[in-house]
Amino acid sequence: MAFLKLESLRKAYGEFVAVKECSLSIGEGEFVCLLGPSGCGKTTTLQMIAGFVEPTEGRIILNGADITRLGPSKRGLGIVFQSYALFPHMTVAANVAFGLEMRAIAKRERRERVAHMLDLVRLDGFADRYPRQLSGGQRQRVALARALVIEPSVLLLDEPMGALDALLREEMQIELRALQKRLGITTIMVTHDQVEAMSLADRVVLLNNGSVEQVAEPFAMYEHPSGRFASTFLGKSNVLAGDVSGASVLVGDQELPADLAGMSGAVDYIIRPEKITFAAAGGLVRGQVTARVFLGDRWLYQLDTPVGPMQVIDTNVGLPKAVEGDAVGLVWAAENARVVARGAAS
Amino acid sequence: MSRTPIALHIFHWLFVLFMVAPLAVVVLVSFTDKGYISFPFDGASLRWFQAIWNQKSFIDSFWLSLALGATAATLAVVLAVPAAMAIAWHRFPARDLALALLMSPLMLPAIVLGIAILRLLSHLGMTGSLAGLVAAHMVVVLPYVLRLVIAAAAGYDHALSQAARSLGASAWAAFRRIELPQLVPGIAGGWIIAFVTSFDELTMSIFVSSAGTTTLPVRMYNYIANTIDPLLAAISTVLIALTLVLMIVLDRLFGLDRILGGKA
Ligand SMILES: Nc1ncnc2c1ncn2[C@@H]1O[C@H](COP(=O)(O)OP(=O)(O)O)[C@@H](O)[C@H]1O
Ligand SMILES: [Mg+2]
Repeated sequence: MAFLKLESLRKAYGEFVAVKECSLSIGEGEFVCLLGPSGCGKTTTLQMIAGFVEPTEGRIILNGADITRLGPSKRGLGIVFQSYALFPHMTVAANVAFGLEMRAIAKRERRERVAHMLDLVRLDGFADRYPRQLSGGQRQRVALARALVIEPSVLLLDEPMGALDALLREEMQIELRALQKRLGITTIMVTHDQVEAMSLADRVVLLNNGSVEQVAEPFAMYEHPSGRFASTFLGKSNVLAGDVSGASVLVGDQELPADLAGMSGAVDYIIRPEKITFAAAGGLVRGQVTARVFLGDRWLYQLDTPVGPMQVIDTNVGLPKAVEGDAVGLVWAAENARVVARGAAS
Repeated sequence: MSRTPIALHIFHWLFVLFMVAPLAVVVLVSFTDKGYISFPFDGASLRWFQAIWNQKSFIDSFWLSLALGATAATLAVVLAVPAAMAIAWHRFPARDLALALLMSPLMLPAIVLGIAILRLLSHLGMTGSLAGLVAAHMVVVLPYVLRLVIAAAAGYDHALSQAARSLGASAWAAFRRIELPQLVPGIAGGWIIAFVTSFDELTMSIFVSSAGTTTLPVRMYNYIANTIDPLLAAISTVLIALTLVLMIVLDRLFGLDRILGGKA
């Protein structure tokens, strides 16, 4: 049974609709990422769950109870803000204790739980510091400890890694995931970083323009994107506009192989760059290398082909491959190509 | 760090001289042993400081002005904090109008304000009352407090309130524990400026104060209208000294930049 359920949530600001329709079932202990480009309604959705934004329509069901109209202070959710929102005039310990104090927990228990939580986020010894005396990563851990110490039913995080540099971000991602697993807490995290979403989430909810585009486990979403948007926002893709013709897809005057499963009409033919290999002679299409970029573990090639510009990613195995100007054939397996009706999803 | 141009140094010190010279003259004159104001003078004495203690009315007015300033500043804070929060944090109809109204005492000449408030008080049958005087001063000092508290509120991160609420704080608890402490720099600066403004206010007070409620500036003004002797210089010197001590204490404790800049 779903632990947290969003039923047709909608939020309109006057004429402008920030969230068109968001329905979602989240299981207990699940880690879900709301992923989407800036302005697609991720924060608005999270704020509706938190109770700071009132939905125009729809319901929020938490553990069987309708909390749609419940005040934010009564929902018992833990929230980590992008700016962390640590109380500047309070010490780390006082920040973490705040939620317990509001629950009128006795001083002794409070102290124990704060100490335990600071231990958990590896901040023991920082209890008497003020937020301004902490580094970015430490601040984030205080924010996490403050949200978790009240034993919330759901943990909400709004772009929690946004303010960290790349190295620290990776470290905090691993730490967050480990902590979440250990506590088994239902978690919803907002991010616009597809790598972060894929590496952390049990399930990714892809949002675009205020609507849910696709909900799937990261691997499934990567392998079976619902359409052009999903295939290009999550990883790279070659998306070719074509038409079903018999048992294959006709792009320009090239016939490309596909598992069509009874599709017809105008389609998008999607093939991931890393699923394509070079062939010296022949190939499904032939093209000319216009540019290549060395990325360490792989090469990224840009090619001109009769079906339009295409990208190919080739693992670096230590041998030089094609160079600019080379004419090469491109080959891929029919089952690696994904064909979706054009316009079915944007 | 670039070197300050020499011309700027000269200007700076000329400006300081311009500000301090009149004060210095007043302080020097207060030490005369003559019965009239003269400068320079030959004999120095403390007789005019002694004279202050024999003028009980000045002492009474001093305490009245002190209490009046503190009360007016405190009442202004109590009104300005909610007003500043509403104006800085919310959009509502007539928001600009409300702000303009609250700030308008700054724009009106004090003499106009004095006549208007006198009219109002006589309508209410409150002429010469202490309550009327307090209310009048509160209106005049409110804009100063409001401006500094709005500045503090404008820099406030609302995620702090949301964080507090999500942790179970009621709206009141969030205000008392998080929002109010964050506004304290603006409130403190506003209170001090309001107090000083009220303590110093003359023009309007001439209309509103009465025989029983004569503020120190009004008492001094009335005094020089009749007599010119170094007594007022002595009183001024005492006030200057008190102000200096207060400034030094405040600077040591909090830093004047912080208080008067309204920054956290
Ligand atoms: N209070 C508001 N009033 C009007 N429009 C808003 C408000 N809050 C957010 N929006 C708009 O709603 C859209 C979605 O915002 P948001 O949920 O913050 O996006 P995201 O977090 O995905 O970047 C944006 O276009 C934003 O400008
Ligand atoms: Mg956002």
